[in-house]
Amino acid sequence: MSQFRQAQNQAHPSKTNTLVLGIICILILILTMQIWLLTAALNTALEGDEGIKWPAFAASLALFLSGAALLRYLPDPMRKATKKPPLPPRI
Amino acid sequence: MNLPPRSPADVDFPIDRVEAEHVSRREFAKFLCLVSGGMAVGNGWVAIKDQLFPPFRVEGEVFVCKTGDVPTGGTHPFTVPGSKIPFILIHLNDGSWRAFEQKCTHLSCAVYYQPDSDKIECPCHHGYFDARSGEVLQGPPPRPLPRLEVVIRGDEILVSEARGETLS
Repeated sequence: MSQFRQAQNQAHPSKTNTLVLGIICILILILTMQIWLLTAALNTALEGDEGIKWPAFAASLALFLSGAALLRYLPDPMRKATKKPPLPPRI
Repeated sequence: MNLPPRSPADVDFPIDRVEAEHVSRREFAKFLCLVSGGMAVGNGWVAIKDQLFPPFRVEGEVFVCKTGDVPTGGTHPFTVPGSKIPFILIHLNDGSWRAFEQKCTHLSCAVYYQPDSDKIECPCHHGYFDARSGEVLQGPPPRPLPRLEVVIRGDEILVSEARGETLS
């Protein structure tokens, strides 16, 4: 069996750590943009401007969907190393 | 294999408190995504509510009071039929008239006119509006005060919808 994955993990032990932190940073960025969109849409709607609310909603929805798609790339939780069963004695 | 004996407390509460309160980074990322969905729903709610329930518009011209009822530098509160929005009619020092919604655009506190400085003040967070245009001069209000057009007919003061503006 190929040892590629195991060797890669040994070469870059903090790979999943970087990936999770990167995803969290992007999600926080998405959330910040959505807060800005919400306040902008609310303010312009109350001001009587009709042209902002639907584009702001579409942008906010697109940001949410992209954030949800990012969750697919969250690494699985670390599994504890399982002990291999001993090989059967050679006859 | 011999396992160490478990205490009765461990049997009754098998999950450690620290373990139960622990929020992993995976869970945190999922929570961020949930909040993001809430933001999208909120944005949709703003759009749908504004579409289905458009802002109130003053129909035609509405009588407010007689010109002699409000001295120079004075104000007169009023409402428009069909709405509970409070308005304020202002007789400016130069003799002109203005009518604005009396709710601050920050947190809806009642604003009042200061004849000395010719400004409208919100006492809650010290927001100031220009008494001529309703524009924000200072403080936290994000938008100008919604304005009504004032029409003088003889000694009667009437208000109508300002051109190109609706009331929130």
